[in-house]
Parts: sequence; C-alpha cells; structure tokens
Amino acid sequence: MKTWHRYVICVALGLIGGAAYAVQQVRGGLNDGVVANGPWETGKSFGTLDASTLTRAKVALSGLLALPAREAMYFTAQNDSDGRALDGRCTYDVRGGQLDGRWWSVTLYEGEGWLVKNAANRWSIPASAVSPDAQGRWSFTVSPEAQSGSWLPTGSVEAFDLTLRLYHPSADIIKSPETAQLPIIDRKGCA
Amino acid sequence: MMRRWIFPILAGGLIAFGAFQATLLATPYALMQAALMKVGKQGAANQFAFAAMTTADNQTIVRPSPDLSYSTCVFDVSKGPVLVDVQPVPGHYWSVSIFDARTDVAAVRSDRDTKGKAARLALVKAGQTAPAGYEPVRVGYDRGLVLIRILVAPASTFPTIDAIRRKSSCKQV
Repeated sequence: MKTWHRYVICVALGLIGGAAYAVQQVRGGLNDGVVANGPWETGKSFGTLDASTLTRAKVALSGLLALPAREAMYFTAQNDSDGRALDGRCTYDVRGGQLDGRWWSVTLYEGEGWLVKNAANRWSIPASAVSPDAQGRWSFTVSPEAQSGSWLPTGSVEAFDLTLRLYHPSADIIKSPETAQLPIIDRKGCA
Repeated sequence: MMRRWIFPILAGGLIAFGAFQATLLATPYALMQAALMKVGKQGAANQFAFAAMTTADNQTIVRPSPDLSYSTCVFDVSKGPVLVDVQPVPGHYWSVSIFDARTDVAAVRSDRDTKGKAARLALVKAGQTAPAGYEPVRVGYDRGLVLIRILVAPASTFPTIDAIRRKSSCKQV
C-alpha cells in the first residue's frame, strides 16, 4: 500500500467519524447537562449568544426558535419522577402547584418534537385547563385512554416527552431553575 | 509496519476534530435555512404569514405550542431596513422575536416590555439606520425570521385574535 493510500483512508475515516460523532451528540436531545430538576431538564442559554456550539446545535434540532429564559423557560421531561422512560402505553398523574411565572402549559411530543395524532385532538394542557384546589394544587392525567378530568392523550406512542413552558418566569426561577417547584410525573400503570 | 500509519492516523484525528466542530457550527445555519424555506412557502419575503393554530397535521417547526398563534415573516435586509409593526392584543400574552440565520435571538419584545402598546422595530444591518419612531434591531445576517406569538386561551378567542394580528405588518423600506 502506498503512503498516500494510508492518508486517504485515515482522512476519509476522520471526516466520516467526526461528522457522525457530531450528529450523534446533537441528536442526544436537550439534556446537555444544563440544569436538572426532578425529571425535568432545561438550559439557561437557549436562543442566546451565550449558548455553546453544541447547545445551539441541539436547540436548533429539537427546539428551533426557542426564546431566551427572560421571556420563556422550557423544561423537558423524558422520564417519570422515578426515572423510567415515558411510555405512551402507560398512564401518568402529573401533579403540581402554582408555578412562578405568568402562564404555563405542558405539551406532549414524540420523536424530535412533534405533536402526536390522537382522536381527541388535544396536544397540551394549559394552565387554564386545570382546576387548582384551595392550596393551588392541580393535576391532570396523561394516558392512551380517555380519562375523567383533564386528560392529555399519548396516542399510544412507544415513547414521548413532556415540555413545560413557563412564560415570563420569575427572577428566582431564571436564576435557580434547579430549585423551582415543578410538577411530579407519577406512573400509575401500563396497558 | 505500524510506523507507516502513525502520521496518517494523526492526520485523520485532526480531520475528525475539524469535521466534528464544522458539523456543530453548520447545524444551526442548515436547520434555519430549512425553516426559512418551509416558512417562506407560506408567503413572500418581508411579509407576514398568519398561520392557523398548530395541530398534529400542520406542523412546520419542531416543538410547536398548540396554545399559541404564530405569525411569521422571513426578513431580508440586503436591500434596506425591514420595519416590523406589531398590533397589540389586549388581555393576551404576545411577543415578537427576531431570529438570525444562526438561530440566535436578536431581540424579543412582549406586551410586558411595551406595556400593552404596539411594538415598532426596524431591522437593520451595519450601515443602515432606523426611521424615526422605530426601535433599531441590529441583525448580523441579511436573512432571518420574525415570529409573533400570541396566547390563545380559551381557543374560542382565536377569531378575534386572528383579526387583530392581521393588522401587524413586516415590510421593506
């Protein structure tokens, strides 16, 4: 084998390997190690010049046109509160209290962030769809089957994630999202 | 035998690092270009397109919120500043955000910032000036996206909101 053959082989492998590793890293989801809070994860630098090259690429893939934290925060959960991957064939109770911001919603996505087709044509639970008790506690059900009360259908997809949007979050949450009081995701059973 | 491979392997390693960085750097531009092409099909450049509420059947951008109405304008400041006038929607959260070709946010203004009044932004690049009455927003690239979000809650308010948002405009000077 001639010398230039060896260079061609190594350079080609380097090009393919480097690009493939980058794609694998970018496709790793929005869990760039940024901030974790129970099952929820978020980042402080989405949409800003402060975002790292990897974070910017991840957000472009999974959350293009995201707003900076001052305007909105995005908390994404791929697991329940016991650390098990969210499964569209299971039923979950999502329970929380007053969230420290102007408005919130929880949206269910599959894959890289697509709404799931379902017979109820419902893809999110906004703050206005729950009924808080006297202490401000509320809950809704995520399930493949219709439920009484507030119900977010899973469409029976194999895997999904939940994104909690919090618009105009308080200064405390922006500063310390890891200590915010966020909803718990409690798996009740699977079909 | 192995010594013959040392320098080719080192060269391959350097190339791999470069390819890794180049792919990361290129990803936002490529995805934003794809988004601009998708959104651009909904209307001409420097003009708002007023999308229907997002459902599972009409998604164009990842992670859309089904609770927000989206209005988009693909801007191009290569031939002059682009003026963005956003009609306020009383009693509803709304914001206008400017994204550049690298997906960074050049500016966000919401009803909280304007205290409920209209937002008037002039998108300018180096060497261009904003007309009187417009807040200048400097963009680093000729093209990008203007996005208006309006909270639609309850859903029955959409027709009213839709009529108001259509008074917003995006136009080249």
